[in-house]
Amino acid sequence: MLKNYPSSSFYDEMVAESSKVRPHYEKFYRILQKLADDELLEKHETAQLSFLRQGITFTVYHEDGGTERTMPFDFIPIIIPAEDWEKIETGIKQRVKALNYFLEDIYNEKKILKDGVVPRDLIENNQYYYEQQAGGLNLPHRNHIYLAGIDLIRDGNGVYRVLEDNLRNPSGLSYVFQNRFVMRKVFPEFFLEHDIRTLEHQFSHLYQALLNHVPANSLSPDNPTAVLLTPGMYNSAYYDHVFLAQQMGIEMVEGQDLLVKNDIVYMKTMRGLQRVDIIYRRIDDDFLDPEEFRDDSALGVPGLMEACRKDNAVVVNGVGNGVADDKAVYAYVPEMIRYYLGEDPLIPNVDTYFLSDKASREDVLSRLEELVVKNVGASGGYDMLIGPQSTPEQIEIFKEKILENPAQYIAQPTIQLSRAPAFQQERFYPCHVDLRVFAVGCDHIHVLPGGLSRVALKEGSLVVNSSQGGGGKDTWVLREGAENNA
Amino acid sequence: MLSRVASNLFWIARNVERAESSARVLKTRLINALETSEAGPLAEGDWEMILDICAVSSEYYDIHPVCEAEKIARYICFDRTNINSIINCMENARNNARSVREVIPEDLWEILNEHHLSMQNENVDTWSMQRIHEYLRDIQKLSFSLQGVIEASMLREEAYNFIKVGKWMERGEKTARVLNVVSEKTKELKLQTETDHYYYWLSALQFLNGYDAYLKRFPPKMEPAQVISFLISYEQFPRSIEYCMEHVRETVMKLESGQVSHYSEELFDAMDRVTQEFMKIKFRKLGMDEIGPFLDKFQNDCNRISSIFARTYYFV
Repeated sequence: MLKNYPSSSFYDEMVAESSKVRPHYEKFYRILQKLADDELLEKHETAQLSFLRQGITFTVYHEDGGTERTMPFDFIPIIIPAEDWEKIETGIKQRVKALNYFLEDIYNEKKILKDGVVPRDLIENNQYYYEQQAGGLNLPHRNHIYLAGIDLIRDGNGVYRVLEDNLRNPSGLSYVFQNRFVMRKVFPEFFLEHDIRTLEHQFSHLYQALLNHVPANSLSPDNPTAVLLTPGMYNSAYYDHVFLAQQMGIEMVEGQDLLVKNDIVYMKTMRGLQRVDIIYRRIDDDFLDPEEFRDDSALGVPGLMEACRKDNAVVVNGVGNGVADDKAVYAYVPEMIRYYLGEDPLIPNVDTYFLSDKASREDVLSRLEELVVKNVGASGGYDMLIGPQSTPEQIEIFKEKILENPAQYIAQPTIQLSRAPAFQQERFYPCHVDLRVFAVGCDHIHVLPGGLSRVALKEGSLVVNSSQGGGGKDTWVLREGAENNA
Repeated sequence: MLSRVASNLFWIARNVERAESSARVLKTRLINALETSEAGPLAEGDWEMILDICAVSSEYYDIHPVCEAEKIARYICFDRTNINSIINCMENARNNARSVREVIPEDLWEILNEHHLSMQNENVDTWSMQRIHEYLRDIQKLSFSLQGVIEASMLREEAYNFIKVGKWMERGEKTARVLNVVSEKTKELKLQTETDHYYYWLSALQFLNGYDAYLKRFPPKMEPAQVISFLISYEQFPRSIEYCMEHVRETVMKLESGQVSHYSEELFDAMDRVTQEFMKIKFRKLGMDEIGPFLDKFQNDCNRISSIFARTYYFV
């Protein structure tokens, strides 16, 4: 299968130089070779259909509304040896811990700003900094980050780097489980011979961590009521919400199902009002509470923030987390780690240039064709320029955008998305991948083994976002010592 | 349980039941039309009757100037502007199910979703009448599968009960509606021709899937009064109004663990009143003149129960 597999300067997860399969993929490769071509195709199709039938879809927005789509699934897994995973796990814990300290700090004492480690205006003028609404809240365990999704990539040398932190509403957790589920169903032969870290029991971590966010004034601190607040079925990540609520066994509510009375949050049940303690919201800050954010929000719950301030309810992830996963603040995370933890970052960042700085801007503008430019406020692969793959016209447009509003953009070298083989359209070809690792926190941080491997299925494309045609792969973390059996 | 969730469960059942009965009524009419000569005012009137049962005929006439079999069939099946079209009911049911996915059996969702996906790739405007026939049969089967899933896999708890109340309520109302339309129709014709029109009572039985059952129980003679009492108060017939209302009541009782509380008092009162009405008519033969008013009143009572039910459980 790898006969015509092209080599390049990118790091390949499965294939080393001179078309040799890496040791931790050898067993997988051996089993794969035993499968006939038509068998592979059939299995590939069964897997896609299974997602569609179950309605595991996300919504893509366009002018006429939204279309439900499944995320294409690619069956070649990303396999991570135990010792690599251990480094990732420790690095993620370190990073999330520092980010949480940072959030607690800037919404209270602001020491890091006073000490000049992070520029004050970067925070205070940040559109996601909600000091008025979220400042001085008394959060259980001082925790702002219940669920984080940290996106990792690997550079040309195979070194993992953090591409992006997602501390607001990282989506995709359901896919981690569904990818595994479908993979097991369609390719049981692989699992017999591999010793992989299981995904079972992960929901008890998620559930326990959620329940640990008990508000100070809860009437039932030992048995608090938690709900998942969704914007509703038209949201692009609705399936994620359904899955999480189902697996944790908590009620899924919409804004219209909640009501705040005397600063206490209730849900409207068929038997009347029932008090709610913890709200795992999957609604953006802007829409959370029309009394304190956008007043045209029909998704939110009026009075919710005041209930939090009175310690009658807790909203997770914390309000105002966006200020810490902003693409500009991202560049300062290594400094935060040093500042709060006194440690060196275990997983490095990707180099980032600020375009508000005149010298960097001129340097960047002179070589846009080799860089990636991103809007600091955008996500999902929107409003970005990938220099090497853009036409001179597109580059020209971005030049103007940058000059018009330099603080809105950052640039990074186009590196460094490793590749892995994918099987699509009846053949194997290399596609770029990244890895979203999920961390769950409250009094301590737990990292889910593996995560969501996202793959840019369009040949040569570097954009892995599902809204832009990206797909998913199962991610296997091998157990300690498992490799020796390969 | 959240009120919104309860309301969506209730409406899944109503929407599916509505789609199924429209499919059956339309299919019956299409078959009967083949057997009778298909022309003249009589046939046109028969088609109008179908519109009155499955939709609102004035809304149809807003778009189409004449009663025409194929136009009516398409209007009832696929017209997006007809809020009760089968395609709209199925779409609504899927949306109801989608917003409560975490409380319903996976199979229930998958069946509705599969139907949705299969319809997405179809251009129904190009469908022949033959294809529409198949579609109507598919809708009925779909409803049977969904009921099967509900019966086979749902815990007998609140969610199940809300689904059942939705189903019985929709059924009871539909039976009343069919009876009302058919008795209106025969009254009109009687004035014109001075004969009883058994044919319509036979259709009524077919519309409500009761023809075979009726024949088993009664001699093969279409006595209008007998058909009427069969459809209204034959307790063993699962689409008779009495059977449906009895089951609504029973299910509400289960929801309330057998107790009438202050907040459910109004609901029980309303149901009691309907039962009393039954008792009044059950043991005597209704004259043809009494049937219309009785059915009108019954339909109003049903609507009232439906809205009190919604209020009792805080549906939005």
